[in-house]
Order: sequence, then structure tokens, then C-alpha cells
Amino acid sequence: MHQIQTTAKVIANQKVNDAYYLLTLSAPALAKMVKPGQFIHIRVNEGFEPFFRRPFSVYRAKKGQVQIFFEAVGRGSKLLARKKKNDTLDVLGPLGQPFTMPGKGVQQIVFVAGGIGVAPFMVFSDILKKHKARKMLLYGGRARAHTFSMAEFKKNGVEAFVATDDGSVGVKGRVSELFKNIEVAPFTLIYACGPKPMIAAVASFAKERGLKGEASMEEVMACGLGACLGCSILTTQGYKTVCHDGPVFALDEVIF
Amino acid sequence: MNIAVKIGKSVFPNPVTVASGTFGHSEELYSLKEVRCLGAIVPKTVTLKAQEGNPPRRICETPAGMINAIGIENPGIDVFIAKKLPGLKKTGVPVIVSISAHSENDFALMAQKLNAAGKIAAIELNLSCPNLKKKVLVAQDAAATASVVRRIKRISKYPVIAKLSPNVTDIAAIALAAEASGADAVSMVNTFAAMSIDVKRRCSRIGNFTGGLSGPAIRPIAVRMVCETAAKIKIPIIGMGGITNANDALEFLIAGASMVAVGTYNFINPKAPLEVLIGIMAYMKENRMTDIRELIGSIKR
Repeated sequence: MHQIQTTAKVIANQKVNDAYYLLTLSAPALAKMVKPGQFIHIRVNEGFEPFFRRPFSVYRAKKGQVQIFFEAVGRGSKLLARKKKNDTLDVLGPLGQPFTMPGKGVQQIVFVAGGIGVAPFMVFSDILKKHKARKMLLYGGRARAHTFSMAEFKKNGVEAFVATDDGSVGVKGRVSELFKNIEVAPFTLIYACGPKPMIAAVASFAKERGLKGEASMEEVMACGLGACLGCSILTTQGYKTVCHDGPVFALDEVIF
Repeated sequence: MNIAVKIGKSVFPNPVTVASGTFGHSEELYSLKEVRCLGAIVPKTVTLKAQEGNPPRRICETPAGMINAIGIENPGIDVFIAKKLPGLKKTGVPVIVSISAHSENDFALMAQKLNAAGKIAAIELNLSCPNLKKKVLVAQDAAATASVVRRIKRISKYPVIAKLSPNVTDIAAIALAAEASGADAVSMVNTFAAMSIDVKRRCSRIGNFTGGLSGPAIRPIAVRMVCETAAKIKIPIIGMGGITNANDALEFLIAGASMVAVGTYNFINPKAPLEVLIGIMAYMKENRMTDIRELIGSIKR
């Protein structure tokens, strides 16, 4: 696997809702290399505050541009939210293992996303546009402020279902509520990304119904290259790094 | 311009290396031209048997640095020699193998295995990893340091480097003990024992409870320790602690280090070691130096 370290220019940094931003970078070499589920490691500031780079799943990669969809929630992401057109960022990527592409026999693909965990499913659905399976996105957000238009997913032939904790948009409750409504066709694959408890719920649901799938995990990360072994999580095969062995793991591989 | 550095009988083409544990076993990075420009590669410390490492969370970000408690996760020396070392040697860069053990006998066994493996530039004894559950580290005890160094010097056909812990009252005293026992060099410093608390949960941010602090936050202390030690010992020092650029590295060289290692900053800027090397050469040129020895220990008192 190869990654590059490059200086990327900000094309746009658009506020999507109260919490989410869509950052568009000009990074032609990166855009060609990215696969769905991979991330880029961004230095959000020069100097030492914050000290680490910040990992972000790639939301879209085409026409020489790479987009990330992120929530301004911590020190790093809040700084990133302030970036303006023509600012430059030191970007390392693409990093990590991508999602496994579903085979031709797969009849149903279910993306399960909690909050900003929805990001990698856009680039994934771009690539799966021609795949014949029925494609669904189950999206869970905290409240109306954490929801956004599903139009882009619909353009990719993805049926979108939304749940919010307070019921302000879609079904009231966790994204797991949406599971109850899906009819499990044979050869269904599940892809999950979001908070750990959500992924744990998805994994147990998948196990109950005998379904296979993958999850994209998150952990505090330093190098992003598998060198420091700082972001290791426990799996059925011992400790594995989220940055290099992951972030994509088989649903039944992660120990919660 | 002569920038080669000698440790024991080994010659390193330039003074810039990486701190153990910050380059992994670097298999992912071999193709990078940055790796081929290093004076030496120091892969992550290996132990006699495989170690799975500490439970998460293993790292946390701190002001201008980080705390880690990885727990020397590694595949064990046999797997290292069979699977990792050949690729490292193929880079053409001298390899300094960092080893750690719970007993002198284990250190000795590993030194023998490395003798058989062949073509290694030096062995670094990690006497100072603060993350294993022991009360006193070898590196905190001059007599214990001397004893391990003496034993390994008798066995090893390679130069032996003692890596020192800064968690001591007088680091120069430990360095003197290592030198007296035949160490060919010392590398300093390892991480500073540290912790960070999540006040919301009233928990340590580190799974192992405490860890080791590294990064630019510790640099001034490391420079002071190198400067004090260089005044007292004759063997070379590999200086490290928060180096991010050539200027930082020059501080260590001027303080008396013969080589410098980029550690934690590899995680932030993988190109840092190469930038450090280029910057050192530019500084020498600017100051009309033709030999790195003119720079080493050139601090004015």
C-alpha cells in the first residue's frame, strides 16, 4: 500500500447543518488513489496545538478533489471548521483498509450510519451505483440539527431511512429501531460506521440474523501508518490497529 | 563534507536516525526515499517472546506531545529475525536492533540470536521502558545497568548502545556506569513517566494508568541531560527528545550528541528525519564546517 503526503488547497468549506461541515480539497493524486472506507490524516494546524493529525473518512473523491464530511466537535475539528477557501492543509493518505466490494451475487446492501459515520458511504455508493443490489441507508442522528438532505444518496439509487433520538426527523429512537423495518433478503451485506455502541448493536443484529458485514472503527490515532500501535483495539485475532489493519473490520471480528 | 558517525566499529553515513518505537518495523515505509536517507534505522523494541501489548487506550495527546503506554507489542525476536529483519537490511540503511528483556539471561539469549542473524550495525539495550509492571527499571539503577551492559558486551559481536531513562536523579551517573562496563554509546532519553486524567470520568486517559511522555514538551529537559552527560563521558551519545526539525536536532548536537533521533514527530511528519538531515548539512555549510565533529559538543560555556 502506498500513501502520499501532500499540501492540499481548500476549495470550499461548507456548513451543512448546526454541526456538520463539508470540506472540499484539491488533491488530484489523492483523489485517484482513494478507495471507499479509507481515510486521510490531516494536520489541522501548524505548530503543536493540537499535536496529532486528525483522521477523516473520505466522503467523496473525484475530479481531482477529495471531500470530507465532518462534525465540528473537538479541538481539531473545530479548527478545521474555520478553514477557508485557498487555505492549505498538510494531508497524508489514503490510509487504512477499504471496505470489501460486494460480489455480484449480493442482493441487498445495508449501510448503517450513526451521525457523521455516514461519511464513507457516499463514496461507497458512488462506486456501487451500477451494482444491481437493493441499497439502503439507515441513518441515525441526535436531532434535526444532525440531519441533512439525503438527495445525494437517492441519486445513487440508495433508499434512505432516518431516525432521530428525539423524533424530530424520521422515526424516533436509535438507528437500531430502523433495523426492525428491514426485510432481510438472502445475500444481504451490512456496512456500519458510527459510535461504538451502535456498531455493537449492528454486530449483534447481524449475528442474530446470520448476516455478514463490515464495520469502520474509530480510535484516537497518532501516526495513521501502523507504526506507533497506539490505536489498537481488541479483535478475535488479538490487538489490531484501527489505522492500518482497519479501520474496516469484519463485523464478527471486533470484540466490544 | 564528512557527516559520518562512528559507534564502536560501526560507521553510520549520517547522524540522523529514528527513535525506537516510532517507525514500527517500518515495512510500510521501505519504499520511501526518506527511509533510505537515514543514518540508521532503529525498529521497535523486540523481546524474547511475543508480547501483545497493553490494553487500550494506549495513547493520549498532551500539550506539545503525547503519552503512550503501548507495552512493547512485538512478535518476539525469532519472528523479527525471520520476517522483519531481511526487509530492513534490504533498505541498505544500517540497522540498530533495539531489545528489551525481563532478565539478564533473556538479554543474553537475544544477543546470541542476533549474532547468528548477522549484518546488524549495533544493538540498543532498552533498559528504560517505563511501561512494564516493574517497580525499579534497570536504567534507574547504575549497578544493574552496568551488569547488563557488561554481560551483553561479552556476548555481542556488534557495538552495544545503552538507552537511558530520564526518570532518575542523575542520568550522567548511569551513563558513566554504562561506559565503564564497555558500552559503545548511550542513547538518551526515553520517555518521562507521566499521566493525564479525564476529569469528567475521573479516570486515567491511559489504559495502563500511567505512560511515558514524549514530544517537543520534553525537549529542553532532554537537551539539558545530554549536555550534562556529554561533559562526563567519552563514548558517543545518540540524542533524542522532541526533535521536530533541524534546529531542534542542532541543539542536541551542539550539546554534545553525536547522532540525533527523530521520535514522536515521525507520527506527525514522516518527512521530519530527512528535513533534519538537510537542515544540518545546510547549517554546516553556512558555518563553513567540513566535519560533523566540529559541530558535536560545540556549546560555548
